[in-house]
Amino acid sequence: MIAENPHREVAIQGSRLPDILLPTNCPGCGIALDVNELREHNFVCTQCGHHFRLGADVWISLIADSGTWQERWTDVRSHDLLNWTVPKRYQETVETLLEEGLNEAVRTGTCTLGGRPIWLAAFDFGFVGGTLSIVAGERLARGMEQATSSGIPYVLVSASGGARMQEGVLALMQLAKVNAAVGGMHAAGVPYISVLTDPTFGGTAASLALLGDINIAEPGAAIGFTGPRVIKQATYADLPPGFQSAEFQLAHGQVDMVVPRTELRPLLAHLLEMYL
Amino acid sequence: MSVWEIVELARHPDRPYSLDYIRRLAPDFIELHGDRLSADDPALVGGIGTWHRRTTMFLGHQKGRSLKERVARNWGMMHPEGYRKALRLAHHAAKFGFPIVSLIDTPGAYPGAGAEERGIAAAIAQAIMEWFRIPVPIVAAVIGEGGSGGALGMGVADRVIMLENSIYSVASPEAAASIVWRDNSRKVEAAEQLQLTSREIVGMGVVEEVVPEPKGSASADYDAAARALDEALWRHMKPLLDEPSAQLLQHRHDRFRYIDSLIQAEPHFGPKID
Repeated sequence: MIAENPHREVAIQGSRLPDILLPTNCPGCGIALDVNELREHNFVCTQCGHHFRLGADVWISLIADSGTWQERWTDVRSHDLLNWTVPKRYQETVETLLEEGLNEAVRTGTCTLGGRPIWLAAFDFGFVGGTLSIVAGERLARGMEQATSSGIPYVLVSASGGARMQEGVLALMQLAKVNAAVGGMHAAGVPYISVLTDPTFGGTAASLALLGDINIAEPGAAIGFTGPRVIKQATYADLPPGFQSAEFQLAHGQVDMVVPRTELRPLLAHLLEMYL
Repeated sequence: MSVWEIVELARHPDRPYSLDYIRRLAPDFIELHGDRLSADDPALVGGIGTWHRRTTMFLGHQKGRSLKERVARNWGMMHPEGYRKALRLAHHAAKFGFPIVSLIDTPGAYPGAGAEERGIAAAIAQAIMEWFRIPVPIVAAVIGEGGSGGALGMGVADRVIMLENSIYSVASPEAAASIVWRDNSRKVEAAEQLQLTSREIVGMGVVEEVVPEPKGSASADYDAAARALDEALWRHMKPLLDEPSAQLLQHRHDRFRYIDSLIQAEPHFGPKID
């Protein structure tokens, strides 16, 4: 007998998604957007499938079963260690974003998905371009270490420009810190699912985001190491349409699949079942 | 000296490159080529040589001297194949118990379309993760430019040292200016903000030691620069040779896991692990 996918009934979102800032018309197809309809479709355009960028708070609502999210290490704060002053004082940048309700470029914690416990970490592109900082690296490493010791699967949602310039070489060192923790999960046989969203570049792509046991990319997401502007500046190359898209990375062997956001949660639930 | 003058010294075309040092450290050096998958990346040289009476695996970014060689070596900017070659040689070293010396001198990994198509991000990610599992001693030295992920991909080691007039940075000053201001002509300003000189890096606890260069910088006297580098590398390598490999790997892990401990100890960083 052919087994049925027991998770086709898993809801496409864990709880009602919070609002996001939306244009009046879809940048993909120009259709006038209906916020509530869009919200029910995980902020994917019902007309053309354009995937709007989501903050960490939306991702947490989307993935975690309602009422199960327990965030960790929220009070760990960035501070200006290089006396970075231009174009704006780094301390001021960080404080403004905190006042706006964002809490660093990575938030992490535990929850359940379809009733199964997971560790979840979500990048927030709205916080200095989702850049890997000491705080972000620390939250990621701590979560991975706890996933390793407890054997709980780890789910990452990335959206990041890379390492944070304003924290200098110590931001670069986060790649090593985090990859050591990824290596720990692999050695312990802990399932690690990496969801790559638009955009995932630089040090984040060159560390944890492409090291999942399963790498899942969102349709149309830009994923790569060097951004297209810098490639053009450095090599004067004409880049073909679709260069560094999720579909390009699938064709080049870097991700396992490209999955629409409306199918992500049931897929994750099914994967968790298969890997445990 | 201004920060920008140090950047220029670190990049100076007369500065000794990896092979200038390796041939002085191990005159019997034999170069090994290829990633055994598809290619050989000339931006990274690797091979074995006798160093302090031991067979040692040497790896190093290599910039070219003549224009022709610079083109062939891609100015020391590695493609994915280079990181795969480095890991192949690291596993080779592990098989025979050879210690590894890694010399870092790159503006960064190659920012080109071909590198992207062949998975440069994953190649660097894999390398950074894999270095934590290579059970032989590794000492790395930044001898010129330590540029971004391209440098760190060769820089996970038990000890990391820097030559006095070398730099180590999250991004090249040009790339940082391009990212922060969308204007890479503001490189001097960016270099000053980034704190990329050896003195600043050692102050952050990211490297163990700054190796003084001869009068007039390493470019002025290759032999003296090589002697200074040799002395420092060996001083760091020697005690590692006696460490059991499990302990070696644990210490390597801890070195990077707590590399920002000076910052984390600051009260405003927040509470420690609960």
